[in-house]
Amino acid sequence: MAASIGSFSTFSKWTCISQLLGRNYPIGYTCIVRHCSANAKENKKPASPTPDEVREWKKINWRAYATGRVRLQVPEDPDFPVMLIPGHSVLPQVLEKREQAKRPPMKLTQPRYRRMLPEQDWTDVWPTAHTFKWSVVPFPVRQGFVKPTESALPREKYGNAELMKIPNFLHLTPQHVQKHCAAIKKFCTPWPKALEDDTVCDKHFPLRVITRDYVADGPTMRDPRARFVTIQLKLSSLKLDEHAKDKFLKLVGDRYNKETDVLTLEADRCPVRKQNYEYTLYLLTALYHESWKQEPWEADQTEVDMIKFEWPLTTAKAKVLDTIIKIKQAQQEKGSKVPKILEDLPDTSSPDLIEKTEIIQEYKEVLSELYEHGEDVHQLEKYKNTTKKLLIGL
Amino acid sequence: MAITPGTLKILALRQLVRPGPLYSWSQSFSTSLIHEKNIRAGQVKGTANKNKPLTYEQSQYPHLMGVTKSWNSWNTSNLDGEMAFAPHTTAEDTFIRKFMLGAWHDLFLTEVIIKRRQNMVIVAGFVKRVPQTRMLYFLKGFTEELLSHFLKRPVTVEIQTAGLRDLIHKYV
Repeated sequence: MAASIGSFSTFSKWTCISQLLGRNYPIGYTCIVRHCSANAKENKKPASPTPDEVREWKKINWRAYATGRVRLQVPEDPDFPVMLIPGHSVLPQVLEKREQAKRPPMKLTQPRYRRMLPEQDWTDVWPTAHTFKWSVVPFPVRQGFVKPTESALPREKYGNAELMKIPNFLHLTPQHVQKHCAAIKKFCTPWPKALEDDTVCDKHFPLRVITRDYVADGPTMRDPRARFVTIQLKLSSLKLDEHAKDKFLKLVGDRYNKETDVLTLEADRCPVRKQNYEYTLYLLTALYHESWKQEPWEADQTEVDMIKFEWPLTTAKAKVLDTIIKIKQAQQEKGSKVPKILEDLPDTSSPDLIEKTEIIQEYKEVLSELYEHGEDVHQLEKYKNTTKKLLIGL
Repeated sequence: MAITPGTLKILALRQLVRPGPLYSWSQSFSTSLIHEKNIRAGQVKGTANKNKPLTYEQSQYPHLMGVTKSWNSWNTSNLDGEMAFAPHTTAEDTFIRKFMLGAWHDLFLTEVIIKRRQNMVIVAGFVKRVPQTRMLYFLKGFTEELLSHFLKRPVTVEIQTAGLRDLIHKYV
């Protein structure tokens, strides 16, 4: 921000004075005068400048003279008339005109914040988002860094570019928001009273479609990310039986959240959002109908294939029943001790009856919990106690 | 050559610098973390008379960007996942600055501030308070019209005027 100053290189102060005295007179220079006319009249010889004259010359702003901004004011003297060089000399009339053309200094109006009334409406002053204007913001505000050693304050708002850089919220006061709301109210309709509860909303509108629009300051208004479509659905809103749900979950994999019972399907393979949306709907439909189908190979499922803990399919069931039957058979032999708890068991000939007894049901529940919730100290302790109770009767 | 303590030191240093097996000088060679701060770049050189005027922005060192002074370009291209238009934005910013330099020649007192909001480009800054107010108004319209055509989106010029010396923060 350096202010440019006119170049003043070869023309020094002392060459000016010598030219003024008539020595070393270069042709083409505008206005050359002998200023010591009074002395010259009396003595008829070239006089050296008096101290007064030297003082006068020193007053002259030679730099301004050299750049042509100021002309020398020459006293009229008939003996020593001003030498006029056609095409170069500047006549006195022209000088006067040039001086008249001088522009008066600029008058600045007061900034707006000084002319504001306290009861004005700020929304009229600052209606939309705008860069910080020092002349409009009525409160004193400063921004800038000062060293802790300096006692100066940070820069004030006038001429502070830092304040212009940062975003401001002078267009988002509560009054502004109120006005915006009032303006768009006519486009709004009341929310249906029947849908005030979220659960009712979920029941009537089970499918949630998520898309995103992008506004960017770029050369194109299209954004490739806008094609992404996500649909979400609570699995409880689909009509599925035991088998269908099991198959559905196996087909869906990790797209189903067990905690929230929400299925999430995403699609971005097609170039346009509409195509992706239709593809997700197609996926959902296909999944639903496929899971209701019963294929012949599904009968071959074993314990490992099941998602949930299935007691009838477990090897544990067979083993437990087998063990108990063996214990019962041993009981019939003389001299063998059997846990008291097993003494009351029904006849070994019917495994179904044995299965329904309390101790087996307890064992089944504990084992089921162990599979469902995973192993931890608490679960393992429970399992240990139940097993001991079953086998030893403790 | 007389062997003095000074000569010995020089010899020892030469021994240190000379390339050779590692064990010969590894004991006297210590390393530390590199102080990766080029403090000479972007700094204004001072004058003997301390008469070079600087704005606030110029007086703050480049590595203090975001600490004591903020950016001149405000956009979202450095956010996560928003890299798609980043090169365009940078090139456009350069173009706008060059345009302002030419169209508003010797008028700007600060750097040109370019802010982007939604699909709008806002060019802001302080210009000299010149007597020819009409010129400023013309330049504002001229710039907005031309840049809007070049960039294919609305461009707003939000300038403010200040006295020639009002933005001087300090002299160096």
